[in-house]
Amino acid sequence: MRTKLILGTAMALFAAGPALAEDMVFTSWGGTTQDAQQEAWAVPFAADHAGVNVLMDGPTDYGKLKAMVEAGSPVWDVVDVEYDFAVQAAKEGLVEPVDFNVVDRKAIDPRFVTDHAVGSFYYSFVLGYNEGASSEPPASWADVFDTDKHPGKRAFYKWSAPGALEIALLADGVAPKDLYPLDLDRAFAKLDAIKGDIVWWGSGAESQQLLASGEASLGQFWNGRLYALQQEGAPVGISWAQNLTAADMLVVPKGAKHKDLAMQFLARATSPEGQAKLAELTAYAPVTPAAQKLMDEATVKGLPDQHTEGQIDLDMAYWADHRGEIADRWYAWQAQ
Amino acid sequence: MAHGPSTMPAHGLPAAGRAPSLRRWDGLGYVLPAFLLLAFFFVLPVVALLLRSVLEPTPGLENFAKLLTTPTYAQVFLNTFTVAGVVTLASLLAGFPVAWLLAVLPGRWAAFLFGVILLSMWTNLLARTYAWMVLLQRTGVINRALMDVGLIDAPLPLIRNLAGVTIGMTYIMLPFVILPLHATLRAIDPAVLQAASLCGANRWQAFRRVLLPLSLPGVAAGSLMVFVMSLGYFVTPALLGGASTMMLAELIAQLVQSLLDWGMGGAAAFVLLVVTLALYALQVRFLGSGRMTAGGAG
Amino acid sequence: MLLTFERMGALRWILVLWGVLVAAFLLLPVLFIVALSFGSSRWLQFPPPAWTLRWYQELLADPRWLDSILTSFKVAALVTVASVLLGLLAAFGLVRGRFPGREVLRAFFLTPMILPVVVLAVALYALFLRVGLNGTLAGFVIGHLILALPFSIISITGALEGFDKAIEDAAVVCGAHPFEAKLRVTLPALKLGLFGAAVFSFLVSWDEVIVAIFMASPTLQTFPVRIWGVLRQDLSPVIAAASSLLVLLTLVLMAAAALVRRGSRR
Repeated sequence: MRTKLILGTAMALFAAGPALAEDMVFTSWGGTTQDAQQEAWAVPFAADHAGVNVLMDGPTDYGKLKAMVEAGSPVWDVVDVEYDFAVQAAKEGLVEPVDFNVVDRKAIDPRFVTDHAVGSFYYSFVLGYNEGASSEPPASWADVFDTDKHPGKRAFYKWSAPGALEIALLADGVAPKDLYPLDLDRAFAKLDAIKGDIVWWGSGAESQQLLASGEASLGQFWNGRLYALQQEGAPVGISWAQNLTAADMLVVPKGAKHKDLAMQFLARATSPEGQAKLAELTAYAPVTPAAQKLMDEATVKGLPDQHTEGQIDLDMAYWADHRGEIADRWYAWQAQ
Repeated sequence: MAHGPSTMPAHGLPAAGRAPSLRRWDGLGYVLPAFLLLAFFFVLPVVALLLRSVLEPTPGLENFAKLLTTPTYAQVFLNTFTVAGVVTLASLLAGFPVAWLLAVLPGRWAAFLFGVILLSMWTNLLARTYAWMVLLQRTGVINRALMDVGLIDAPLPLIRNLAGVTIGMTYIMLPFVILPLHATLRAIDPAVLQAASLCGANRWQAFRRVLLPLSLPGVAAGSLMVFVMSLGYFVTPALLGGASTMMLAELIAQLVQSLLDWGMGGAAAFVLLVVTLALYALQVRFLGSGRMTAGGAG
Repeated sequence: MLLTFERMGALRWILVLWGVLVAAFLLLPVLFIVALSFGSSRWLQFPPPAWTLRWYQELLADPRWLDSILTSFKVAALVTVASVLLGLLAAFGLVRGRFPGREVLRAFFLTPMILPVVVLAVALYALFLRVGLNGTLAGFVIGHLILALPFSIISITGALEGFDKAIEDAAVVCGAHPFEAKLRVTLPALKLGLFGAAVFSFLVSWDEVIVAIFMASPTLQTFPVRIWGVLRQDLSPVIAAASSLLVLLTLVLMAAAALVRRGSRR
């Protein structure tokens, strides 16, 4: 069926001109985010490159990515992955180095670019809460651990990933500059104190459901998710104190069939226009500072880059080095 | 391909295993298509993957050593078998009377009840599981309704624990016990029970001595499906269970899909496979593989 | 007396009550989904603040939903046919056969059920990449067939064991060809087992998401994969709307089947 489709497109294009169609594949997590990426990046990219179709695939699955790279025949050309995975994948040789002759490295915020990946968008872990759940709104990570002052369940990200452990340490009084290497014993001890009050969320949508339904009173959330809740009129507050930045990254699987096109796609995605458009559609922050100038004020207001005071960058290099051992401890602790 | 859907199933039957000289291998031909399919598309790739458990990160048994010495894995194994056992029991208890009712109801009502079961099955599993999540949570419909009528004062913890997984999975698994049980009960000749009654058995005796034993093949088929299916289940425990009821399939999914630790994932899958097959062998040893049919097909 | 409704006394009302309770249990989430599909709240609040048809409009405006439902249906239908055929053959071999190692083979046929699906998904995908079956309909069907086959085999084996072979032999004694006896006598008696096999096989494929994520390609997305993505990303009630439309379709088909049956009885 696929071959037929490709053949069909190819013939249609052949009739129109000498160029032959090429189908490159962009993979992301599905839902409205991928729709936005398609609109902001893929559609204009295809318009600029005669004879190129950008097909949407997904959801991203790291196991699938590894299998296709191992088999030497990746079907994906550009993949949206989490930052810590991007670093680990580079270590394991699963992704191509980015061609910075094509992609303008200097234009991208240095926090969100590595030799093997460029930022897709960035976001922050922030403290979100239901207004009226306690007498005064929680203002710091320490408040999340204060069950007397702020009763109710706490929502935390379920998987072993950058974020929750840092929050526990910050709440325990660790200075941001001393966060890494993480004091795991101390972090788990802190989390232990509220373990019975934690509800875990496994996906962004689930976190929103937890807060909107009142199931959780406060907790750790992605800023874009809370922004969306506020837009829908939910009585939800945000504290940006010590917000923790993380990002999705774009990578090109090792041996990708359309490597050159993929690099051009990365350039398009990280261009100020591409980033501004995506931010407008999703309320995620642009990784390219120049995008700011292209965005309207309403969009800019909800973005993490308005809250850089006290902002902390999660250390993805540290996480990539310790992903396995932290995961072992994390799940062991959860299962206890 | 091993299976040609164009040929009628029965056409191959007489030729396949009737040659008298091959009496000892009688019937093997029937099994062959399914066997070849599984051999090529299941055994071959899965063995290749499981082999990585002794090859990665370095050749040796270190993954298995880690599996056996880390308390988490023991806990997760225990969770897995506990949940599977509880769900199987709950499905049987809830499903047996329904299968029985289906077998005795007048045609139209039986069709109606069948309709209800099929309707629920046909609705997407993820959507239904999510619906349960919203129904069962602390601020969910069920808890609020119970509190409104004054049955409870504080919300019951119905989700993110064993209760949530049991409700959600029993819900999914019910049809898998009802259908085989129904098929078995329908095959029982009502005259047998009349005979029991003529011989002076009361209702309870007739149930215990006649109906229940005769329904055992269905019980065995249904509970086998539910138990084994539950062992490897992923979606429902992930949404309705809590971190403390984490099951093996979730952990393996983490290892394989997120951490890319295929060696460890393979080792965990291998142990699950061996333990389950051993349990199955025990069951066959002591109970026979579900063929307790009086005067059965043997 | 225990299998004749009219003669079961008080017991029958206990069974009926239980049946009603279980039916309510089975229907509760389905009705809830239908209600949510008309609710205005994106976050599945219930009762919803207002009623709307917005999610149905979104559903119909996006052809990918319908495409994915059709793809799912196609895959599940092919899986069902193949699974019942292979299952029937295998069941005959396992129940009637006299070859050594039958018990081992029986256990072997169950292993795809035990193995966590993600392991099969990764393993099969790696093989498919090498033989060029990845992203194809055939590959998709094979992946789900592996998962569905054990259910077919268990269902049909169970039915066949409950069937008295003497009846088939009697037909042969009376002059029927052995093949004809199987087709005319045994197969109809296995009706419920075959029905169960078909329902389970269809269902396994229809609801399966992990293998489907691996087998998917830009042009081959099934309904659960779409739902999975949307559930994790957006939690949109469009999912409820799509599920509700399928419920409606099922009801229409069931009503039609009932009418046909009634018509043919006259």
